[in-house]
Amino acid sequence: MLRHLFTLIWNRKRANMLLISEVFFSFVVLFGVGAVLITIGKNYLAPHGFDYTDVWRLQVRAGQGQQMPRAQLDDVLRQVKALPGVRTVALTSGNMPFIFSTNNSTFGYEGNTALANVYDADDRYTDVMRLHLREGRWFEAADDASNHRPVVISQDLRETLFGKGPALGKIFTWSHHGPEATKPEDEFLVTGVVDNVRTANDFAAAEPGVWKRLLPHDTTSWETANVLVRVAPGQGGELQEKIARTVAGVTRQWTTEVRVMNDDRLSKRRYTLVPVVGLSIMGLFLIVNVALGLFGVLWYNISQRRAEIGLRRAMGATGASISRQFLGEMLVVTTLGVLGGLLLAVQFPLLGAFDLPAQPYMLAIAAATVAVYVITALCAWQPSRLAAGIHPAVALREE
Amino acid sequence: MENLLATPPDTRPQPPLNSPAAAETPVLQLTNIEKVYQTNTIETVALNRVNLTINRGEFVSIMGPSGCGKSTLLSLMGLLDEPTGGTIAIDGRAVTSYSDRELAGLRNLKIGFVFQSYHLINDLSVLDNVELPLLYRPSLSGKERRQRALAALDKVGLSARTRHFPGQLSGGQRQRVAIARALVGSPEIILADEPTGNLDSVMGEEIMDLLLGLNRQDGVTIVMVTHDEQQALKTKRLVRLFDGSQVG
Repeated sequence: MLRHLFTLIWNRKRANMLLISEVFFSFVVLFGVGAVLITIGKNYLAPHGFDYTDVWRLQVRAGQGQQMPRAQLDDVLRQVKALPGVRTVALTSGNMPFIFSTNNSTFGYEGNTALANVYDADDRYTDVMRLHLREGRWFEAADDASNHRPVVISQDLRETLFGKGPALGKIFTWSHHGPEATKPEDEFLVTGVVDNVRTANDFAAAEPGVWKRLLPHDTTSWETANVLVRVAPGQGGELQEKIARTVAGVTRQWTTEVRVMNDDRLSKRRYTLVPVVGLSIMGLFLIVNVALGLFGVLWYNISQRRAEIGLRRAMGATGASISRQFLGEMLVVTTLGVLGGLLLAVQFPLLGAFDLPAQPYMLAIAAATVAVYVITALCAWQPSRLAAGIHPAVALREE
Repeated sequence: MENLLATPPDTRPQPPLNSPAAAETPVLQLTNIEKVYQTNTIETVALNRVNLTINRGEFVSIMGPSGCGKSTLLSLMGLLDEPTGGTIAIDGRAVTSYSDRELAGLRNLKIGFVFQSYHLINDLSVLDNVELPLLYRPSLSGKERRQRALAALDKVGLSARTRHFPGQLSGGQRQRVAIARALVGSPEIILADEPTGNLDSVMGEEIMDLLLGLNRQDGVTIVMVTHDEQQALKTKRLVRLFDGSQVG
């Protein structure tokens, strides 16, 4: 019977081409939407690698054209830290988690290179962010004597640069194209390795990170200081005001802005979700349209093939076998469309498209295949039942 | 595909198709058959207490004016429809209470159909069209089906046209394909509904000669509905219907 179905479909290939194309495009859309949703879902379920709760982001600005002496800044940080409700404070760079600011560079070690986010971090940074240390240690006063810039790196960067070999105590630098020598401050000494971090948004994948030590006795004057503050649970606006007043108490020229990191996270999540939701809705509409199209085409097919149905009943087909034949034809057509889609979809994991691992693609292929078969089976079910119910004597008389 | 016969086919010994004993064996019996079409406002009596016995090896023609119930009677004989009253028996067994599955099995094994408008599937080759009834016999292999279809086509003189499609054939050739399809399952009875109705006189004669040959030489039982008195007179028995009743 399967051969008979293939013969019928092949001989009606022009009529079936539209159906096969519909199935193919549905598969491709479902695969695309599926791959995006599976990837962001997988990312969402992965840990961030740090603790953003009860962390505030404090931005202190010296004013346009003004400089901020380090000693004065340290004084501000000391006073903020002394406030009741503040657990600890840390100085960092502007590319804090969940905001639209990034700073990345390519690093190299013995031919291995990797693009990584670069964060400035002082010795108390990890107390605020609670990064998960896997190897080594965070920065400490002993690092003052180091001839190289102490850094902590994320696990993914560690794997890229050092593979399975040891990383602690290794020195790497920027990825150079030329043979010129590097300066000592551009040579990074690995003191620790932390878990992967996801700082962009809740749905983003982990990205390699390098935390460069901010020297405590650095005399550089800044225009803007970015400070992370870990507060006691339950702190709110009152403490925010106190922090602002404390900064103003040190120097009236400086301005401050205090933001809650969790608010930044939620804001970024909404911003990220908009295109994803839009894409999903578009995909859903497309699938509904395709389903209605399939339903209509099958319904029309059956009305055009009433005489054939009557004939098959006369030749010995039961109502159930007529129903199965129509379902079978639809499943064969679906298989041809899905095979075309598969041919396209498998290129993505094979070519490592968009730097994604194969797993989300394979899951998306499986999900799209199941979804297409379910949709077509559902769409074919009612028309097939209709076909089964056609009275053979009536159908044969009609022609 | 499932086994279409819930009950096993009748395997009792049957007399050879063209033996004298076979002629007296009823293959199809209709007793007090009534068929009424009922709508909300109107009741139409299509058949009224028709009694008819078809013996093995007979060639019976059914005549009557349009709308007298000829095709309805043929549909009932072919188990494509259910009578409102009366009983239909195939090989002595009443089929009144048979399920859809059992009736489909009987149609497949015992009955071959030939229609006025051929009812060939245009997207299937001649060979695939002839094979069609055998697809509903899961016990047959693909090779067996093909061999039997080729033999049936040979019998109707179309063995050179197996790869053609119905659209490439003349009306007479299409009807020959339909006859081959009716023959392929070796049914006990062929029901032909105006088999020459769509053909010119020459083609019509050809088809009639073919049916007569099948009946005389192979002993195939045939019931034919026709409007053509000349062709009806060539058959062994003529049944006349008028307004749903048997009048001769």
